[in-house]
Amino acid sequence: MRDQFDVVIIGSGAGGAPIAHVLAQAGQSVLILEKGPLLSAQYQDPRGLSEYKRDELLATGSEKRIQHPVANQGASFYTSHVEPDLNDEPHIYRSADGNDRVTIEGYTAQVVGGGTNLYGAVSLRFTADDLRLRSYNDGRTDLRNDPNGDIQREVRDWPISYEELEPYYCQTERLVGINGTRVNQAKAFSEDNYQAPLEPNPISRFAEIGMDALGMARYRTPLAVITRDHAPSGRKAYPPKTGFVNRYGDPLGLKSNTWVSLLWPIIDQTDLELWPNCVVTHLEANGGQVTRVHFRDPGGTARSVQGKIVVVACSAIESVRLLKLSGELDADFNLRIDSSGLLGKYFLTHCFGGAEAIMPGRYDKSISLDSDWATDFCASDDFIRSNGLWAGGAIYNNTSDQALPISLARTHGSQDLDTIWKSFVDDTGMTGENLTAWMDANFGTRLSVSFMANQVPLPSNRIELHPTIRDKWGRKVAYIIKDWHSHDRYLMDTLAEQCARVLQFGGDGGQGGYPVNEKGGVYLAENGLVRIANHILGGARFGEDEQDSVLDPDCRAWGFDNLYVTDGAFMPTSGSANPTLTIQANSFRVADLLTARI
Amino acid sequence: MAVAIAVREDQDILNYCAKYLARESVDPRHNFGQYDSSDPRGRICEPWRFPIIDGHSDGRDFIASYAFNDVTLIYAAPFQQPVPREVGVVGTFAKLYEPLPLQRLMFQGSETPYFAVTVVVPKGEVHTYKFVVDGQPELDPVNPQRVVLDNGRTWSRFFTQNCTQPISLERWECALLQRLTDHILPFRTQEGQRALQQNLVNKTFLLDQSVGAVNFIDKLIAREENHYLDTYKTCLELIDRVLRQRNPFEEPASMPKPMFVTLYDEMGANNVPGWDYGRFDNPRFFLQLLRRHTFTGAFCHPKYGGNTQAAGWAFLEEKYRGVDGTTLFDWRRAVERPWGNDPDYHG
Repeated sequence: MRDQFDVVIIGSGAGGAPIAHVLAQAGQSVLILEKGPLLSAQYQDPRGLSEYKRDELLATGSEKRIQHPVANQGASFYTSHVEPDLNDEPHIYRSADGNDRVTIEGYTAQVVGGGTNLYGAVSLRFTADDLRLRSYNDGRTDLRNDPNGDIQREVRDWPISYEELEPYYCQTERLVGINGTRVNQAKAFSEDNYQAPLEPNPISRFAEIGMDALGMARYRTPLAVITRDHAPSGRKAYPPKTGFVNRYGDPLGLKSNTWVSLLWPIIDQTDLELWPNCVVTHLEANGGQVTRVHFRDPGGTARSVQGKIVVVACSAIESVRLLKLSGELDADFNLRIDSSGLLGKYFLTHCFGGAEAIMPGRYDKSISLDSDWATDFCASDDFIRSNGLWAGGAIYNNTSDQALPISLARTHGSQDLDTIWKSFVDDTGMTGENLTAWMDANFGTRLSVSFMANQVPLPSNRIELHPTIRDKWGRKVAYIIKDWHSHDRYLMDTLAEQCARVLQFGGDGGQGGYPVNEKGGVYLAENGLVRIANHILGGARFGEDEQDSVLDPDCRAWGFDNLYVTDGAFMPTSGSANPTLTIQANSFRVADLLTARI
Repeated sequence: MAVAIAVREDQDILNYCAKYLARESVDPRHNFGQYDSSDPRGRICEPWRFPIIDGHSDGRDFIASYAFNDVTLIYAAPFQQPVPREVGVVGTFAKLYEPLPLQRLMFQGSETPYFAVTVVVPKGEVHTYKFVVDGQPELDPVNPQRVVLDNGRTWSRFFTQNCTQPISLERWECALLQRLTDHILPFRTQEGQRALQQNLVNKTFLLDQSVGAVNFIDKLIAREENHYLDTYKTCLELIDRVLRQRNPFEEPASMPKPMFVTLYDEMGANNVPGWDYGRFDNPRFFLQLLRRHTFTGAFCHPKYGGNTQAAGWAFLEEKYRGVDGTTLFDWRRAVERPWGNDPDYHG
């Protein structure tokens, strides 16, 4: 078995694939170790079949039960076919009552392409202010719900500016394949590489009316789904016809996951090797050099490889865990990776939430991508300051949620991953005519408007190793300890109100009186403490001060010469939008730095 | 009977099995009560996936290929046991007297503990098989499905997609379950019947089968949610008994609707007069389970044995139409033929 490579990358998703794409084409030998399987699109398969299906039971599988000795032992869970089994490899979080519980939150997907297979593909850029929130808030006295001054004490600017990142946003948008529109976005673009969006779903008309009535300049939500033939990846566009987008991999390869867009197109022409079903267990180092990457092969045999450069990109929680596990095996490794004492700290997700209403009329929501209209209204300096907020957020409508019959039932009551099916199951009165009446009221009628916004970074929000629970390899599992800051709650209330207004004004032709069924920030949910939206960020933030960050501005671990971390872990703040595009752009930036270095 | 072998790359098969089989832990992490505590299948994640039942394609004629499944039989050497030299399989899908050899799966030139062969089997069939490990017959150590044949011998079993042969439930259980599911999702309204008649691909389909929720459940408790097989058996027996107590003169499956409406109210309140709480203490739980399964069975992809002939989708297609008569659930455009009419997606 080959065991020497120029570059070994752990994880094939948004953080790892751009680096493989660039370095393999620069003539380097590159190995990607991916924990999950390789599921191809139809056009890549000699049989013309894909293991991604338009099948509602793939997104949420059959029932299993949590077996670990924690507070939710015995609870049902329903993971998709590419998410980890929670009995084999759980994430544990400390819930509001102080008890530990198993959660599926904080996992993306374990499959080649990682989370870019299952996500809704919303591909927004961050704003320039998102990258300089310390400077932005310096000296302000108008911040609400921050009695202890946590924001100004804890927030950090990124060590790079929007201007430095911007060319890499352009590169990502061109290579990955994204549809959307640029006009009315509150971010500077030096190139417009968007493909044309599809016709919006008719139900999105209400979001359009509401945004216009409120003076919210709108644009078509950028989505990583191709609508035209895409030359950089050699993909052919078919008419997308389906609500099987969010939480589904795409059998036709239209969704621009990193496998179809960045890896498959170059794998035959370069010295790129991709080994799926290989779980990296720990890194071994000699001083500041990572010398070996240890993994289990698909049969469970322990093996190792060497890389001159080692890139960790297995999603923030798992990357922190891998580094901590490596540190437990080697004190010197631990001193080097955690010299600042910050590894795992400042773990971040987003403040998110929104509003939902039953709109007039009924619409075929099964023909839609994830979102049609977005606005940066809540990212403007005016909005942020007039509301005493520390940072802004993006708002967009969702069209694909509850678009199909089983998803309507299992997400009834706004349930998400950990509690999916729960409201439907508990609502035992819904049988017979009550059940058909419920379908009549809800199928093809619901429209939601969501926000995605910065979360206040705090050292107390952190990833640790759980003291007792072990995965199927006997390794300690990740332990998520987090809470929402009082300003986060205020910010979520404020932005949820804006989402509700879009529906109130959209539903009645701009009068503002349309009833909204549900609104609020995610902190209000039953398991609100741990809700992560699978936006897994921070825990190994980059910065210019070795004592105040885990990574240097190049995303290289301080204390190591050849160890890089390029998934969302590097972020000091979580941005005002879904993170995948920014993770990819930053990885293209790091890839350029590595090319220059090699 | 000659069996067609499908040639599959080792990598393809590893993609199906590594996550579930590869492990060091010997804890019964996956035993939800369906196995004895020492049964090694309790250590395996989602062992019901084995053998792997997958779509079949010759790469050319997707319609003709659609009638078949690729069935990949995988023998995994038990944890920390020596790996055998030779593994074959005998089964009702091929010659019973001549083991079909399994090939050792390789990863990057190294041997894995897995052996596999992929055979092409028509959809809708049930088969039994055994591995032959270094000359000795052996049950599939992973697959939870086992069946005792008339001669008293135990064999491993699988069924392919679209299977309508009863697997888990007896005839009277199916009849009672039919009534129970009918009162969860009332497809027997006039509009429901009209939708079914207009849209069914197979016009001879028996409308009594409703939307296949019973068949879906029959398959689900044989495979994915086998941990609920006993729950169904027990609760159907208890419901049968309760209904007979209330009306000794009629078969429960033929009793009038109000009997079931009352029963559901009582089950929802966890207070069912006449229920044997010593046998099963939570009738509300069974109603919850039944509702989730019935809804899923009505609207899942037909390959799971529910949503028979796509009747559940057709029902929604008919029921929800705009003022101009256009359907507001145009599921056919996204679904493969023969159920739907997407020419690009092969299922």
